[in-house]
Amino acid sequence: MPFERVRVIGLLDAFQAAERAGADAMERWVAACRDPRLRGGLRVIQARDRRHAVLVEARLRALGGQPSARPSRELAALCEVVADPGISDRSKLAALLARSPAPGSAPLREFVERVEGDAETRALLETIDDEERASLAWLHRMRDTLEREDA
Amino acid sequence: MHPRQRERMVRFLDDLRAAEAAAAEVLVAWIAVCPLDGLRGGLRAIAEREAVHADLLAERLRELDVPATAAVAEPVQRAALARFGSAAVSDEEKLGLLLARYPDDGAATHPILEILAEFEHDLETRELLRLIAEGEGATLAWFRAYHAGL
Repeated sequence: MPFERVRVIGLLDAFQAAERAGADAMERWVAACRDPRLRGGLRVIQARDRRHAVLVEARLRALGGQPSARPSRELAALCEVVADPGISDRSKLAALLARSPAPGSAPLREFVERVEGDAETRALLETIDDEERASLAWLHRMRDTLEREDA
Repeated sequence: MHPRQRERMVRFLDDLRAAEAAAAEVLVAWIAVCPLDGLRGGLRAIAEREAVHADLLAERLRELDVPATAAVAEPVQRAALARFGSAAVSDEEKLGLLLARYPDDGAATHPILEILAEFEHDLETRELLRLIAEGEGATLAWFRAYHAGL
């Protein structure tokens, strides 16, 4: 298998593992969340992350790979916070957004730019990035709303 | 809430669910015949986006104890599948058809954003719809950018 393809498969594998872990954690957050506004948006984000994992896994299999990656220790720790029903929504939002890029930026841009010579994978990730950007903007707005209400 | 208002809201949710499910089906048909790698990659993600919207709306309707009954008219869906699933119709023509239906990115999001105020007593659905609207805007923006680059 060409080196470039192996590299892309590795990137996709890491991404699908991260999206799956994120979706699992979000699902537990949704189940514990008592704020209907937050729950409504989190449901969309969780469902999208889950589909991203499925799409990216399908792509890596189409390229001849097998999914085997695990989320990084840092991400796993963040997912534990997000999934914990004993931690407040505000704290979860703060933890999540502290690790995320600024609103308006493209969270996956750097990742997309590392995919060379594979237009299908690149477009797939660019389109997923549009959703990640929308999710991030919504989470920022929701954090600001909750902070205003608690002030 | 006035029963008529509730009726209008749930009908909107059901109609949107049906439209999103139908769109996902048409996009899958397009993917099957699309020869352009870049377009195919985007279509895959967008088809999933539409399917996710349909699933989320169906789930919400179930929670609201409302049966999902709406459907896109069969002749309309059949014609769309025939056109977008045809290898004889160019991708540029398909993109042109799609974009002609939505002259700007707001054309798909306005109907959703306009009804949000009616969901003041159902904030969960309101935020769900808000993110769905943003997804629709992103879909059109991506199609427009791809079309412009052809």
